[in-house]
Amino acid sequence: MSETTTRSWRWGTNRWMVLLLVILSAVFAGIFPPLRPHVQLPAELLTDPLFTLPLIGDFQLSNTLVALLLADLILIGMALLVSRAVRRGELTLGGLAAAVEGLVEGLYTLTESTAGKWAKTIFPWMATIVLLVLIVNWTELIPGVDSIGLLDQHHIENPEACTFDTLFRLGSTEVVAVGGESECAAGVVPFVRVASTDLNFTIGLAIISVVVTQFIGLRAQGRAYLGKFFNTQTLFKTPMFGAINFLVGLLEAILESVKVLSFSFRLFGNIFAGSILLFVVGSLVPIFAQSAVLLFEFFVGLIQAIVFGMLTLIFMSLATVGHAEAEAH
Amino acid sequence: MEGDIVEAATILGKLLGAGMAAIGVLGGGIGVGLSALGAVQAMGRNPDVTGTIQTNMILGFAFAEATSIYALVVALLILFVF
Repeated sequence: MSETTTRSWRWGTNRWMVLLLVILSAVFAGIFPPLRPHVQLPAELLTDPLFTLPLIGDFQLSNTLVALLLADLILIGMALLVSRAVRRGELTLGGLAAAVEGLVEGLYTLTESTAGKWAKTIFPWMATIVLLVLIVNWTELIPGVDSIGLLDQHHIENPEACTFDTLFRLGSTEVVAVGGESECAAGVVPFVRVASTDLNFTIGLAIISVVVTQFIGLRAQGRAYLGKFFNTQTLFKTPMFGAINFLVGLLEAILESVKVLSFSFRLFGNIFAGSILLFVVGSLVPIFAQSAVLLFEFFVGLIQAIVFGMLTLIFMSLATVGHAEAEAH
Repeated sequence: MEGDIVEAATILGKLLGAGMAAIGVLGGGIGVGLSALGAVQAMGRNPDVTGTIQTNMILGFAFAEATSIYALVVALLILFVF
């Protein structure tokens, strides 16, 4: 028994606030019925071409880029918070800085247990990927992301009939025929859309991870690292098995590019499917059902970030070890 | 008239294709169940290392889920891009 008696948990005022919010959401769902959302795979562009780069082309601001900038601001804020607390000379940090410190320390312990003496090289890559993907996935939970945006009207034949009231009365943002003559279709283009639902972000991150793995392997083993792909060790001693080993080595090279696809589509598929689920459930059952999906999305975002980082860590530490030593274990 | 038929056929093809692509999600369900089976059996034999087993179970779950997510992505591609 501890000396200070802890207060036993009691029902508080929170349940009344939750009930109030549920009733308010029911009232608002009656006044403004939810719209069936317009979903598209590529990220929506918010502006006209701002400037043109010589080889690459036009640059337009897309809503996933806005979400990525937001995640960057949050990460830089976290880093500045901890560095300010350390520079002030505090030995034990308190509050938010302590949470960040604990997170980074947990990641470093994980890296050390897997990578051994290459932990200092591998840790920046792995921790950046984990923290960035984690914050990008969790922006989905902020109210306003994926929902607040511009009503982008396209395919209008009779602009006067395409009013806000018409759209809301018929409950859909897709093609609405009014009076049999005029057509009106509109879709909400959100200002901020989760960056992991953009294939540019996931494929870019996967390419970075795989390419840096090759560089770390080259640095750890030198030219022997290429022996993994061009396996000519047993080619001359036993020709039959040597040829098979050689072909297996070539297959490993192809496997590296499959890793890029696997990384990117795992993250993309999980988060994109989650956001579609949020849209659809929110428009079908506007009262309280989306909260359960939000809780699920919380865990899915966390798990996908950890899996991305851990796979990067495992492939990088495998690259430093090499096959000959692995067989000798 | 012909445009209407082509559009209707496209929508029909899209919906059927997406439905058939979603059958692939079956494999992921079996894989996740197997991963949980292994984890629970291991926890039954050796309850002390529950933490390690849980971590590795989550890792195995993410890998097994990945292939069913690929099938889902194909279905989404068929529905929303083509």
